[in-house]
Amino acid sequence: MFENTKLPEGMNPETLEHLMDPKNYGKLENPSCVGVAVDEKTGEYVIFYTQLEGDTIQDARYATNGCQDTVVIGSMFSEMIIGNNIDYAQGAIKKMHEKLGVMSQQQQVCADIVFSGFIASMINYTHKQEGKEEEMHVLKMKESCEGENIHE
Amino acid sequence: MNSLYRKKHELWLHIIFASFAINDEEIKSRLYEFSLIAFRHMKWLGADILRDGDDYNYDRDIKLYKRQSVFEVLRALMGEVNNTSALYPQSVLGKRMLTDDAYLLEYISQILQNEINDKEVTAFNMQRKWLDKNLAQEQIDALTMFLFEESYKEYELILVYAYMQARTDKVLEFSIFEDLIHESHFHLKSFGNMMAKMGILALPRELHAMTYVIKDLEKFVTDGIAEEEAAKEMCRELSDAIKDEELSKFFDFINYQESYHIELMKKLL
Repeated sequence: MFENTKLPEGMNPETLEHLMDPKNYGKLENPSCVGVAVDEKTGEYVIFYTQLEGDTIQDARYATNGCQDTVVIGSMFSEMIIGNNIDYAQGAIKKMHEKLGVMSQQQQVCADIVFSGFIASMINYTHKQEGKEEEMHVLKMKESCEGENIHE
Repeated sequence: MNSLYRKKHELWLHIIFASFAINDEEIKSRLYEFSLIAFRHMKWLGADILRDGDDYNYDRDIKLYKRQSVFEVLRALMGEVNNTSALYPQSVLGKRMLTDDAYLLEYISQILQNEINDKEVTAFNMQRKWLDKNLAQEQIDALTMFLFEESYKEYELILVYAYMQARTDKVLEFSIFEDLIHESHFHLKSFGNMMAKMGILALPRELHAMTYVIKDLEKFVTDGIAEEEAAKEMCRELSDAIKDEELSKFFDFINYQESYHIELMKKLL
């Protein structure tokens, strides 16, 4: 999309691309598992749909009512994990922290709500494997996002 | 009926974003008026669906036309109008929507007859420049983030308030939601046009049902007031950061509007 466009100096072009066209945003019709991370203080949530085949994440979608930081991180993270296995996805959380560099406390909380949404979907998957009936797994966030911006 | 509601939602977005994308003030203004008509169609369709004991949602499947010229935008829009019109029911509302759309198509046809109208569309060039301002890069970055944040938020508010308005039988709530919807339309219009001016026009992301199916009005309003406070703070910070008198005045103006939104929302408690 951006191959032929010369971006001005300033905001990271990758961030701008995720802002304008978030990847894997929305929902899956028949996911293997669904997780929600919710910040009860602000009402902000991330819902994460994961489609697994064995250990491999075939597809993933996320949705949020949160700030643009949350959207951008969800877009980047979902791109990283699709096509990879669950262990890779767990490691991707660490890699994402490195990728995002030094974040403010608020941005860290935005990243954590995305990762927690994914982790909740994994817990939902485990519960389903154990035969439990659970439509989705919900994790409540300990810290609250006040929505600062991510850009360089 | 739900598929028609979805198409009408998409058509509203197609019309309003065509309006934002086009620089010519007269065409922009006329299309914006048509977008408001399309939004009312949505509202009436939704009311009919609820009356019939059914329900609707805000799912959508839409890509923004990133065209290079006014005629390309308008021709694509004509296609969307025709596709949607084909789904209208044989009813009074169906006939109303059909005649409204026919007039929109007629207006677009008139524009297409004059080559002078076929100007370049710069809304998607990603240059992130404010042509008549000399803004520093960090100011441009701050403005960019603000516009993405707030254009989504206004779209969200329009749809959430409309969803709740359609489901209340209390006159005061209906009236407050109506005012808040009008206010958010104005803000979305302002921010959408600013995004286009900077070459970063983009659709707000789709709403998940968890966002608009409100089970606790009091908590929704309390959270909404906190969000308005946050938006006010963003406006104030941006106004300080921009250091341009004209833009700063605009953000102060938006800031004070947010203050009154809070007063309106308090009446819902």
